[in-house]
Amino acid sequence: MNWTTLLVAMSPEHLLLAGIVVLLSLDIVSDRARGHLPVSLVAVLAATLVAALLAIAGYAAAPFPGQLSVDSSAYAAKAIVLAMAIPAILLARDEFPDGPFYTLLLSSLYGACLILSADNFLTLFLGLELMSIPVYVLVLLAARRAESTEAALKYLVLGGAATAMLLMGVSFLFGITGSMQLDAFGRLLDTGDPMANMAVVLILLSFFLKAAIVPFHTWAPDAYEAASVPVTGFMATVIKAGVLLAAVRLFGFNSLSGRMVELLAVLSLVSIIWGNLAAMRQTSFRRMIAYSSIAHAGYLFYAFLGDGEGRFQAVAFYALVYGLMNLLAFASLPLAADDAERDRLDNLKGLYQRAPFAAVMIAIAMFSLAGIPPLPGFVAKFLIFRNVIEAGYTLYAVLGLVGSYLGIYFYLRVLQFMFMSPAPEGLAPQPTAKLALGATAVCLVPTAVLMVYPGGLLGGL
Amino acid sequence: MGDAVLLNIVLFLPLLGIALIVALPEGQDDRVRSWSFGVMLAQFVITLVLYLRFEPGVAGLQFETRLPWIPEWGVYYQIGLDGYNVLLVLLTAFLGPLVVAGAFSAIGKDVKLFYAMVFFIQFAMLGTFVAQDLLLFYIFWETMLIPMFLIIGIWGGARRIYATLKFVLYTAFGSILMLAALIYLVWSQYTATGNLSFAFADLLGTRLAVREQGWLLAAFALSFAIKVPMVPLHTWLPDAHVEAPTTGSVILAGVLLKMGTYGFIKLGFPLFPQATQLALPIVMALAVVSIVYGACLALVQTDIKKIIAYSSISHLGYVMLGLASLDLLGIQGAIIQMVSHGLTAAGLFLMVGMIYERCHTRELADYGGLAKALPVYSVFFMILTLAAIGLPTTSGFTGEFLVLLGAFNAAWPQHLAGASMPLAWAVIAVTGVVLGALYMLWFAQRFLYGTTRVPHGPVPDLNRREKLIIAALMVPVFWIGLAPGEPMRKTEAAALHFQRLVGGAQAAATAPAAPLAQRGVEATR
Repeated sequence: MNWTTLLVAMSPEHLLLAGIVVLLSLDIVSDRARGHLPVSLVAVLAATLVAALLAIAGYAAAPFPGQLSVDSSAYAAKAIVLAMAIPAILLARDEFPDGPFYTLLLSSLYGACLILSADNFLTLFLGLELMSIPVYVLVLLAARRAESTEAALKYLVLGGAATAMLLMGVSFLFGITGSMQLDAFGRLLDTGDPMANMAVVLILLSFFLKAAIVPFHTWAPDAYEAASVPVTGFMATVIKAGVLLAAVRLFGFNSLSGRMVELLAVLSLVSIIWGNLAAMRQTSFRRMIAYSSIAHAGYLFYAFLGDGEGRFQAVAFYALVYGLMNLLAFASLPLAADDAERDRLDNLKGLYQRAPFAAVMIAIAMFSLAGIPPLPGFVAKFLIFRNVIEAGYTLYAVLGLVGSYLGIYFYLRVLQFMFMSPAPEGLAPQPTAKLALGATAVCLVPTAVLMVYPGGLLGGL
Repeated sequence: MGDAVLLNIVLFLPLLGIALIVALPEGQDDRVRSWSFGVMLAQFVITLVLYLRFEPGVAGLQFETRLPWIPEWGVYYQIGLDGYNVLLVLLTAFLGPLVVAGAFSAIGKDVKLFYAMVFFIQFAMLGTFVAQDLLLFYIFWETMLIPMFLIIGIWGGARRIYATLKFVLYTAFGSILMLAALIYLVWSQYTATGNLSFAFADLLGTRLAVREQGWLLAAFALSFAIKVPMVPLHTWLPDAHVEAPTTGSVILAGVLLKMGTYGFIKLGFPLFPQATQLALPIVMALAVVSIVYGACLALVQTDIKKIIAYSSISHLGYVMLGLASLDLLGIQGAIIQMVSHGLTAAGLFLMVGMIYERCHTRELADYGGLAKALPVYSVFFMILTLAAIGLPTTSGFTGEFLVLLGAFNAAWPQHLAGASMPLAWAVIAVTGVVLGALYMLWFAQRFLYGTTRVPHGPVPDLNRREKLIIAALMVPVFWIGLAPGEPMRKTEAAALHFQRLVGGAQAAATAPAAPLAQRGVEATR
């Protein structure tokens, strides 16, 4: 075993691990330890930078051959996932001044990094669980409301079901091919064998459950609503991007054909339409974002209809833009007396009069999520549908676009509340926390760059 | 090269304007207003220089800039002026300072945001006109929704939220299908030639089966026809106009509605010529229906803004009629009519805004005999009314006359079924002129003459700022009316280009090759 390769190739993971160790030691050293936030921030920042640098340098290696390998696209995916955790950490200042939040978050990120370089279903499974299990706890951690426990349990049970389906699928796969390698999945895609189909569908369904595709989405609104703002932000962005990018790795360069296309396209389409329709009548901001995330998961899986190379580019770009926009909105959400109050959509009424900057930031996020140019959400959506049309599925593309049109209304409704409705009585202007402003800046700068020059990032992906 | 930089400056000046007024501290609303006016004025002056330097008779782009933007996809930042857009760019830049000045006293709430949005929409509109790359065009096209949504929704009337959502949802539906169509078009072109490009010039020759062309044209046309708006897709317009603040109405009528017709002339028809030829009877029918139906609806309205809104539908029907005629004069007339409608409708909406600021009602029945109470106002209003119905010596006459001339002379390809139909439609369209005179003059009669009724009166006549705004608007109205040869020369190359692309060889052969612009001038005399 080459130790240098091991050290360099997995350096983002090592940095996260170092962060976890420091955080745990902090807890041991002192009862009232402080500094969890800076430590985790530094660890994630360092890991992001290293991953980005390795991606740019085009480093490729296989530290554990057959189990784990990295190349520049894996590093790019890791950098994207890690970068989105930075604003989530910055947002956690008020909710979680210290404590296990940061350790759990870093562990979850470690899992996300692992799945993005997995070559073997065992590694993939390990990474997926390592990513998911801390999140079950994170949902419960804030426990601001009675429903939090119920939501966390629901999430746990359904997450367990996803795990069981994945394991079942992998055992079928092993039974047919005698291999646990990820590329075995690609080979099974276009065989007509019922057993192979069973394996593929089970594995795919576990991903659908984790990404909250209709009809496996019911956990998402409850979990998003029950968790606190930073955890919801983390779930909506890092976890979703992790799952989707892992799916890209799983599918590799294989094109879909036959029944698989129908399964993927129809479920994605239903997600897009149902997510957008259901979001229209929500009164809670996070519930609305949850339904929007169901629709966006639909767009993301739409990209799988396209060919292999475009698929990674589309998913990575979309996941990044989508994550940035959600985090931007969450970072700008005005503070309120308690969590449930903060979450009420009505609370946004007249926000422009009270906090113009926050209102403009949320407006940018909403327009971008709605896919209206010139905001980067448009280029992301364009990329997805370009892939679908290029693969020859024009009808699905048109249907998906019409589905995305349905979403415009509820994003505009948020705008209407902020700019066009009078503020409710008795709301004082709330100052935004300094660190939340930092999170806003962290999201805003890349947003501006992606808006003016999307070609820069696309060339690198 | 130097002039190309000027065009970029024109395009990006509004963004500078946004930066300037955002940088101003709170509470300096007057400075926001004067700086906005200054930036807009500078933009107009530079555009005027460009217009004067624009060479007529040159096919192709002038003042072109082409820079890689997303090179992997063949998307370029490509802008330029040609005969299609030069007059419309000038119109947009000309209306800019007037729009800003017109809102000086009307807007008191969130002044900074308001002027930022006016600049934003100015940027998007200019960008849509000058873009020569399909994706760039689409981005600018859709961007217009954001500021317009806010302008109607924040500063509008009582039912503003309903109106603005209706506006956005209508227009967004059209463009979502256009997005699918444009990707499909570019992809077909790429598979056929191996050249991945979004440039208009490359896409114009794309070979497609007629069936494909039909679908793509339908998608593009839906988007454009909603924006024009053509009957039966017009129902968003009266609501948007009535609820929008004066500025919003002026921008909508002055420039935004021209996006649809510009889309047809620049993209929709030339990209899919065979499908267009088959669809010409439908286009012409819808155009004439828009003319007559819009006029009839305008006749029975009681809200002043609605009268002008429905008259817009009617007037833009002429533009579509001119385009569908495929006659050279008809096409040029369509472009002139776009500009003319932009000037007169913008002027009328500005004047309605001025009276609304004074009397706080738009019900026609509340007014009467303004000619005695507000003489200056009434004179200006009457001139604009006469320009709108196309009285000779005004721009409206030039536009409508050329369009009707084109329609009578329609140069449809011989092989088309119903090649003699245009004559029938042209005859019906002429009744639109009569109806137009009827509803506008009847409106002016009830509004300006009779017993003097001034709600919340007595009110002061126009002040100096308002007089200057309207007087400035009169200049191009009479300029195009009295000397149409100059603007027509600038559009001639584009009209020929359009005719050759859409009508094919036959149409071009039937058109006289001799000095066309002169023929136009003589015709108008």
